[in-house]
Amino acid sequence: MSQILKREVVYAITGIVTVIMFLEYFFFPESTPWAEMIRTWTVIVYNISLGLGAVRLVMAHSMSVQRKRENWQYSGLLLATLAIMGLTGFAGYFMTGQPTQNAIYNWMFVNVYTPLGATLYPITGFYIFSAAYRAFRARNVDAALMLIAGCFVILSNAPVGEAIWLGFATIGEWFRFTGQIPGMRTFSLVGTLGMIAYGFRALLGKERGFYAGGGED
Amino acid sequence: MSLLAKIDRRVFYWILFIALMVPFLNPIGFPIRIMENTRDLYEGITGDSVEPGDVWILNFGYGVSAWPECHPGVTVCAKALLREGAHVILIGPHTDVELTYNHLLDTVQEDFDAAEYGVDWVFLGYITGGESAIAQLASNMRSVYPTDHFGTPLDDIPMMANVNTWHDVAGVLSSDTGDWGGYFLTMWQEAYGVPMAQIGIAMLGSTGIPRWLAGNYFGMSVGSRGGAELEMLIDEPGDAIIAMDSISVSHLLIVIAVILGNIGLLIEKGRGS
Repeated sequence: MSQILKREVVYAITGIVTVIMFLEYFFFPESTPWAEMIRTWTVIVYNISLGLGAVRLVMAHSMSVQRKRENWQYSGLLLATLAIMGLTGFAGYFMTGQPTQNAIYNWMFVNVYTPLGATLYPITGFYIFSAAYRAFRARNVDAALMLIAGCFVILSNAPVGEAIWLGFATIGEWFRFTGQIPGMRTFSLVGTLGMIAYGFRALLGKERGFYAGGGED
Repeated sequence: MSLLAKIDRRVFYWILFIALMVPFLNPIGFPIRIMENTRDLYEGITGDSVEPGDVWILNFGYGVSAWPECHPGVTVCAKALLREGAHVILIGPHTDVELTYNHLLDTVQEDFDAAEYGVDWVFLGYITGGESAIAQLASNMRSVYPTDHFGTPLDDIPMMANVNTWHDVAGVLSSDTGDWGGYFLTMWQEAYGVPMAQIGIAMLGSTGIPRWLAGNYFGMSVGSRGGAELEMLIDEPGDAIIAMDSISVSHLLIVIAVILGNIGLLIEKGRGS
């Protein structure tokens, strides 16, 4: 029985859902209450998975703290932050209907999360600058072509490029608006064809990577 | 040259840090040329392209970390739509969507003050469920958002009274760091022909520009540069125009670093041969 639940029922559900969504998207976009119902379930399952993810996160990091694994202090910090945000957010929600009405929750979000988040991208600029000197080397013709194209694109994106020489903008824009287009379109088409092939394999029960037990036929 | 090869990486960090300080202390003001994709975006949300009362979805597909790249463009688009009399639905798939919404209330303060919540704009809040949720939003918004972010049922919000499917939406603007623009493209633009445009981070230019050239997006703003161009188009200089000097300096330094690094490589090769 469990094998049937694990395999055949999963194959059947996958197949039915695939057929319904396929028919809706390509043939009956306005009249498919079943497809709507399935999508609503999907949204509900997604939301449940957020809660499940939080539970798994707590379990994994609690274990890390309990067993004093490497860098367990970070796990402790994560759990403490999770507890503070969770408790204050729920307190705000139950008292006012808005989590952000809790002063501690709001303070943490605005004064801790926001600066940390805002720092995330800019900090990569420093690594890129260092890497530009150390790693971006034209060791062969392919690498040299890529680097030259990259330099033109960078200088066409920054106003200073045009200020130095108008040609930087002209050549860089050619790469952005003409040169890269065939490559990106080919990439998109190949990726989409791969997705269609994957969909058909899943529909036929041949793609088992996401089924219980995994593996391929 | 061997000395150059051994430079500590912290030296590079300091060079960049100091160089970035200069334009903030003493703005340079390099001229910014407006690209065609950005102009198309602006023209698609202003003038004859927008009728008063049209409903537009503005998706915050970015978190706090991408504020510098995405938010200036979103600010200009929100201003433009409100000034045209359009009604704006604000949604976002990031957990910090409320921060972004509050930030938008600050950056578009005058226009939001002149408008009325629930009549001219509505904040539906966080959305999860990936592509399925975006598809469902097209066929039945109330099944995804029974209430707005503040708990008011959509039926009680005047602006949403007759808005429930893609038929009721004039266009979509998706500001992204990742996939959400693609979801709207597949589930709204390609499926039903709803006009859409993207306000993406610079990295999304390579995927977004082919879509703009193909006509899937009626326009596209690429990174801070796109935001600066939009600020110029609406004639209200803001954060993106200020940031462009820093972008000029950092980009130039990166190119110089690449050139210096490769000169070293060539000299080493010359010695070897």
